[in-house]
Amino acid sequence: MNESTPPPLPQPTAANLLPPLIPSGARGRPVADVPLGANAEERSPIMGWAATVDALLRQPRRVLYQLQQPGSGPLVRTLLAITIVCALVYGEIIGLFSGGTQLWAAPLKVVTGLLLTAVICLPSLHLFACLSGSDGRLVEFAGRLAGLLALTTLILGGFAPVAWVFSQSTASPAAMGALHLGFWGVATAFGLRFLRTAFGGPSGGRRVALGVWSAVFILVALQMTTALRPFLGTSPTLLPAAKEKQFFLGHWFQCLEGEQKQ
Amino acid sequence: MNPASPTTDGALRALLQGDPAQPAATLHTWSRARLLRYAGYLVVGTGIFGAALGAWRSPLQALYTGIKFPLVILLTTGANAGLNGILAALLGLNLSFRQSFAVVLMSFTVAGAILGAFSPVLLFLVWNTPAPVGQLSSVLHGYELMQLAAVGFIAFAGVVANLRLRPLLVALGAAPATARRVILAWLAGNLFLGSQLCWVLRPFIGNPATRVEFFSDHPWSGSFYESVFHALQHLFFNPS
Repeated sequence: MNESTPPPLPQPTAANLLPPLIPSGARGRPVADVPLGANAEERSPIMGWAATVDALLRQPRRVLYQLQQPGSGPLVRTLLAITIVCALVYGEIIGLFSGGTQLWAAPLKVVTGLLLTAVICLPSLHLFACLSGSDGRLVEFAGRLAGLLALTTLILGGFAPVAWVFSQSTASPAAMGALHLGFWGVATAFGLRFLRTAFGGPSGGRRVALGVWSAVFILVALQMTTALRPFLGTSPTLLPAAKEKQFFLGHWFQCLEGEQKQ
Repeated sequence: MNPASPTTDGALRALLQGDPAQPAATLHTWSRARLLRYAGYLVVGTGIFGAALGAWRSPLQALYTGIKFPLVILLTTGANAGLNGILAALLGLNLSFRQSFAVVLMSFTVAGAILGAFSPVLLFLVWNTPAPVGQLSSVLHGYELMQLAAVGFIAFAGVVANLRLRPLLVALGAAPATARRVILAWLAGNLFLGSQLCWVLRPFIGNPATRVEFFSDHPWSGSFYESVFHALQHLFFNPS
């Protein structure tokens, strides 16, 4: 080769334009022991919606590292915006099952329910993290929770076309409810895996703490489906009256019995 | 031929032969023309198979099923594109949304090619199956035979397409365990939606007792899973 001729640059392709994958600490991978920010890729800032979505899916550790840095406000706002937009989209799909008032009520209730769940569970997340030896600030945990919600709702957005097909096919609120719960369960499992990455190494105490908090989070979210009902079907009132308070399991069994009688 | 840019035909042939290097190379650049070509193969293969399936009922049903069968697969691929991309990234496969869409489309194209190749066999089976006229028992026998044949061919094509998908994902950089997880997740999502789309676009074989129709009278009525649930309920709790 002529020494004055520089070697050809590699052509950019769809594959090498993608950011490298930085796996989370799931399935006991050793990466969970490595402190956040140890990888140079994790230290590069995340700018914009598309980059945030990409980082949530491919580089959860990068998101978590950036949330620890001073000036992480714009990232938290982007995560919350992603949560709200995706929750509105999925809520609209839920509302399309019944139509009418639910077309605007269901999306609003989904967003409100998710944000209320996060606000209710944030202090306990901070407390459990402190009990398991973490020195993170409340603001950091708010960011991590925003990440959990953003990833959960993003996955729900992916399920939206499937949910729409079923919402147009079935007349059974119980069947639709079970389907939405199934999709929410899958999405939340990935969201909680994201949060598990933030809790670091495989310490038994941390695992138990996160496990207990995850159970609390899931219970609060499930109860929210009853507290803000109806999401599916119709009702004379937008929200249940004070005398109609119920535990979510009781409400679900009541719905199933009602359908069987019909 | 330049090995860095294999042709669509070459890539598809290599994929059918179990050689993932060529199809993996085509995925490094986004080409709408290539995807359209894959979709074309898919439509032709599954369309011919669908036509052969519907031919048992009537020529008109053959036309309808020849249109609807590819439609189910294209709608499933399109509607699940976002979900498949999200799941691939979350499960550890570093593919873009476009790449994961292309990979799923390639896998369905393999299935389509297999089904297309089996359509003469299916037509031969149709020719040898009692026509949907005459004695009820004979008609029912024919209908059940067509159902079984369709399920058998589609299952075989699906299994082979997924077996061919695994080395392709490994060639794209996935660890074998990751490739397995991604395929299972895609398979679950595509089967879940595909079954319901088949329900909405029914009939495919055509009920001999009713007139030939493109859609049933109430295409959006009920779901595939509700019908399975009710059938099981009937079988176990109310067999009379």
